[in-house]
Amino acid sequence: MKTLKNIFANFKKYQFLMSQLISRDFKVKYKRSVLGIVWSLLYPILMMAVMTMVFSQMFRFKVEGINYLVYLMTGIVMFNYFSEASNSAMTSVVTNFGLINKVYIPKYIFPLAKCIFVGINFLLTLIPWIIIILLTQFGLGTYPASINIYYLVIPYIFLCFFLFTVGIGLLLSCVSVFLRDVFYIYGIVITIWNYFTPVFYSIEILPDYLQQLFKFNPLYQFITAVRSIVLYGQCPSIGTLGLIGLIGVATLVIGSVIFKKNQDKFIYYI
Amino acid sequence: MIRVNKVSMKFNLGIEKNFSIKEAFISAFNKKRRPKRNDFWALKNVSFEVKKGEVIGLIGSNGAGKSTLLKVVSGVMKPTTGKVEVNGDISPMIELGAGFDMELTARENIYLNGAILGYSKKFIDEKFDEIVDFSELRDFLDVPVRNFSSGMVAKLAFSIATIVNPEILIVDEILSVGDIKFQEKSKNKMMELIKGGTTVLYVSHSLESIKDLCDRVVWLEHGEVVKIGPAKKIIEEYYKAQMGEEMPKKVS
Repeated sequence: MKTLKNIFANFKKYQFLMSQLISRDFKVKYKRSVLGIVWSLLYPILMMAVMTMVFSQMFRFKVEGINYLVYLMTGIVMFNYFSEASNSAMTSVVTNFGLINKVYIPKYIFPLAKCIFVGINFLLTLIPWIIIILLTQFGLGTYPASINIYYLVIPYIFLCFFLFTVGIGLLLSCVSVFLRDVFYIYGIVITIWNYFTPVFYSIEILPDYLQQLFKFNPLYQFITAVRSIVLYGQCPSIGTLGLIGLIGVATLVIGSVIFKKNQDKFIYYI
Repeated sequence: MIRVNKVSMKFNLGIEKNFSIKEAFISAFNKKRRPKRNDFWALKNVSFEVKKGEVIGLIGSNGAGKSTLLKVVSGVMKPTTGKVEVNGDISPMIELGAGFDMELTARENIYLNGAILGYSKKFIDEKFDEIVDFSELRDFLDVPVRNFSSGMVAKLAFSIATIVNPEILIVDEILSVGDIKFQEKSKNKMMELIKGGTTVLYVSHSLESIKDLCDRVVWLEHGEVVKIGPAKKIIEEYYKAQMGEEMPKKVS
């Protein structure tokens, strides 16, 4: 209990620094672009248009009985969040070494700030996502998406998803200090992970034993939970929601503990 | 206020070499070819105390461990053995402009750098004009720092760093930045801060300024404390040891 209190006191103390780091990322990201933050909305829409074209028109992917466009978009938006956030969190400690070496700042701030920064972008991409869901009610695609009371569960799923991502981010940023190879290895891992997560296909096209194996993929659990609400109008079972919470919290705890144990050694390796 | 108790700091200079898989394999199978652990003790059993309001100077040749000691005291590094106790807010002026983002404007950097130095938003809001006036850069507030000359960057950084009134001030030779006029101004500002009753840990190669400012001096050499004592006495001994002759009475 006391440690938890300390953690929150620390958050509060460095809240301003955190917000400065995040707003710095926004300013730098959209520096000298005419459309600026509009890109956060426009980019996913355009990406979606391309992906939809490729997968539904060229490859003729579809999932029976549901709106494939929403199916695809949910997968891509969520997977992209994870991939982008974990990647930028991974490099954050090493790239901020100039600071770490000179001023005392709690080091967890860097990966956490990255996960929040990408998270804000993720929330912005939810706007076109919701617009598409609404448009399916008016005949976009073969089937309409479902709109129901269970949408209220989605913030909980996203929160667990965020905790999971922060946990992985802390872990990667810590390991990559000692072993720079992780930068390259993770690039490969994330590509493999992308194909082994049913982003643009349904796992029902896979053989049975693979379907069972895929359920061990945390990303599958998060994405499927959101899809079952948005596409099938079904609330995930209490068991599933509990599992999702457990994955999120456990990953965060593991990531934080490993990060905390090693953070004093960072300075010798950068 | 600050208690440095038997602090030692070890660096492993062999670390860079031992960093490939090939080396790791070789060392796993062949004990003889294992890279020698090249331990380097940047600080060895350093102990001293700084009382509240005292101004302490650190002297010693390059590589004596002065900057490492400052980093240990400011919390950037954890000592390998020993303990550092600090009571009070520390304002580290170790390196100016750490954390400046060259893409951002001067205005944005004042907030970012301020946050890094641990200032609150309210504090920066209040002191914003003071910082800008001191830096003499009001006309360039909304210009990206990328377009600044190095002198302008230093002026801005100095103005942000010295706006505080900390309980403990750690200074690593930043007295003179900018043009002649600003150098004089910044020197006065530092004097004002140091003489303002704060506890100061001050590193400099300028023996004159140490003699002027410090109550006591810690003389470090090869990571070890050679002597601790009154500023004037230690500095004269130091000068003699370094140059092999008596210190001239007045250098001007």
